[in-house]
Amino acid sequence: MGGNSPCASCKLLRRRCAKDCIFSPYFPSDDPHKFAIVHKVFGASNVSKMLQELPVHQRADAVSSLVYEANARVRDPVYGCVGAISYLQNQVSQLQMQLAVAQAEILCIQMQQEPAMPTTQMDPDDKSYFLHDNLPQYLNFASSSSNVIHDSLKRESIFGHDMVS
Amino acid sequence: MISGRCAACKYLRRRCPSDCIFSLYFPPNDPQRFACVHRIYGASNVAKMLQQIPPPLRAEAAETLYFEARCRIEDPVYGCVGVISQLYEQLQSAESELAKTQAEIAVLNCNPQEAPIEANSNFNTLLAPFHSNFLV
Repeated sequence: MGGNSPCASCKLLRRRCAKDCIFSPYFPSDDPHKFAIVHKVFGASNVSKMLQELPVHQRADAVSSLVYEANARVRDPVYGCVGAISYLQNQVSQLQMQLAVAQAEILCIQMQQEPAMPTTQMDPDDKSYFLHDNLPQYLNFASSSSNVIHDSLKRESIFGHDMVS
Repeated sequence: MISGRCAACKYLRRRCPSDCIFSLYFPPNDPQRFACVHRIYGASNVAKMLQQIPPPLRAEAAETLYFEARCRIEDPVYGCVGVISQLYEQLQSAESELAKTQAEIAVLNCNPQEAPIEANSNFNTLLAPFHSNFLV
């Protein structure tokens, strides 16, 4: 099938499409835009190097993610995918704050319904105690073990926007 | 004012002109920053991208390119798409947890008589995140 017509990459690069062309399984000739956008952002030789460094069974996913990133970068040349990351982090933080408030409310309701519980250490109507001391836990819980997420949380203050790519 | 070559021109082993597009965003004291970006995008692609962006936004563009390049180096298969995917999962998980908690509040508010039985079974679970702060 791929032996007769060149893949989208070789068509764009105007070269012969070899039988073992690294691009041909992932950039079929019927979708020229896919390779065009990846080539525009990353460059054919960089994509080739990246694919060569990966086991074959992971290359399709790698191509999909490269296409996604390239599309995001073309749509938003300044922020690329980071715009979406920033937006999602804001959404997650807001939801976790709402969750903290809701869980504090449950505790308050339970304490009001169980007056035998010791309440001398805090005011059961004061929910701000929970929010203030527990938000960092939730933010830490939200962030994955990857260093990238931790760094991207710091970067929120640099970008300070919530646009969606 | 940056004296000497920027990190990009040092890496590329060339003279650093006074109007070098890289010099403001890839200072010589952080060679790894340009190395990352060059590895994923290539110098000419980065230069083209920066040239197409208005100067006031180039610093942020360089920052996001560096961030994405680092993501890709750390995760060669998914890059920062892996980060986005994880965030979507966290979002769904938080939404589901919030819906569950709000339903529990509705139950507690509607059935105060039955609440102590249910509340006790969930009490330690709910209290777990607060242990270090609440229970001295």
